[in-house]
Amino acid sequence: MTLVDATLADTATTPLLELRGIQAAYDGINVLRGIDLVVPEATVVAVLGPNGAGKTTTLKVAAGLHPASSGDILVAGRRVNGARPDELARRGLCLIPEGRGIFPNLTVRENLWMMSHSRRELTEIEETAYERFPRLRQRHTQMAGTLSGGEQQMLALARGLATDPAVLMLDELSMGLAPIIVEELYQLVASVAKEGMSILVVEQFARIVMDVADWAAVMVQGRVTLTGRPRDLEETLSSAYLGG
Amino acid sequence: MIEPVTTAAESGDPASAAESGDMASAAGSGNMAPAAGTGDMKRVEEFKAEIAEMRLRDPATGRDRQLLRLGVVLLVLGVVLTVAAYFMSHGTTNPLSQRDAIILALAGVAVSVAGGALFLRYSLATFLRFWLARLIYEQQTQTDRIVRQTDAAPR
Repeated sequence: MTLVDATLADTATTPLLELRGIQAAYDGINVLRGIDLVVPEATVVAVLGPNGAGKTTTLKVAAGLHPASSGDILVAGRRVNGARPDELARRGLCLIPEGRGIFPNLTVRENLWMMSHSRRELTEIEETAYERFPRLRQRHTQMAGTLSGGEQQMLALARGLATDPAVLMLDELSMGLAPIIVEELYQLVASVAKEGMSILVVEQFARIVMDVADWAAVMVQGRVTLTGRPRDLEETLSSAYLGG
Repeated sequence: MIEPVTTAAESGDPASAAESGDMASAAGSGNMAPAAGTGDMKRVEEFKAEIAEMRLRDPATGRDRQLLRLGVVLLVLGVVLTVAAYFMSHGTTNPLSQRDAIILALAGVAVSVAGGALFLRYSLATFLRFWLARLIYEQQTQTDRIVRQTDAAPR
C-alpha cells in the first residue's frame, strides 16, 4: 500500500458525525448558512469562533435539539434529519450543553443515577464517574447546585461519559471557570480522546483546545471560514475572529 | 500544561505523516476533512448498528397524515351541517330561519368540498408514494434478476 493509498483508506471511513450544507434559523433569522463539518472516528474536532458565530446552534442541530432548515445531518453515514434528540442520545450521541445541564436540586449521586437509562448498573455508573473524578466521590451527597463551577462541569462530564457515548459533544466547557480548572477538564477530555472516543468540542477561547484537538474549524457569522490542524490555524485565528 | 493527544503523525506512522503534510497545506481551504483515528472499534460498530436500526419518521409524512385526517373531519362535518340545516328549515315556517338554514347548508357543502379536496390530495399522495416505492422495488428486483441470469449464462 502506498502512502497515498493509506491516506485515502483512512479518509474513506464513514465519519461518525457529518453536517452537510446545514442551514438553521431562529424565528426566520438565519444563523447557520451552510455548515459543512466532519467528525471521523476517534478524532477530536474543535469548532472555534467568536460569540454569536453559531457554534452552539451547530451542536444543537447535530444533537437533534434544533431543526435544520436545509442540509443533511449524517450520523454513522445515515441521514438523521428530524430524529428525536433522546433517540440519538440513547444510541450514543451525547451533548454536554453550555451551562452544564445538571439537576441543581439533586445530589451528585442522584444526578449520576439519572443516567441509568443507558442500561448500565447504578454502581457501575457511580464507580466510573468517581474513578475519573475523585472529587465527586467526596461530594456525592452534596446538592449539585451547591458545587463549585468546576465541580458542576465535572459532574456534567461524568454524566455524559456514564452513557458510554460514541460521539461526545462539548459546548463551551471553559465557560465561567478558572483557567486551572479548565486545564484539568481538558486534560480529562484528552485522556478520553486517547481511549478512542470521537469528540466535537465548541470553544470560544481557541488556545485552550489547541493541544487537545486533531482538527479545527473556525466559524464566523454562521459559516465555516477556516479548517485545518489547530497548530496551522493558530496564526490566522486572530484575523478570522476579527474579520480580517 | 495539557498533554496533547498523540496524533498518527506524531506517532511516527509514515502513512499518517504524509496525511499530516496534506492537511497542513489544506489549512484555510475549508474543504479538507480530518482523517479517522483508531478508536474503540466495538463501541463504534455498536453505535453504527444502532443508528442503522433507528426508525426515523419523515416529519413531512406526519403533517400529511394530519391534513388527511383534517380532510375526513371536514368532509363529515359538512354533511352533518347540511343535514342539520335541512331539519332546521323543515321544522319552521319562518322564512328568516329558513334563509339561515339555507346559508348553513351552503356552508356545510363548502366545508364538505374543502374536506373532500384535502382528503383526495393527501390520500393520493400517500398512495402515489407507496406506488413509487413499489415500482422502485420491483425495478430493483428485476435488475437483480437480470444480473443473476447474465452472470449465470455461459460465456
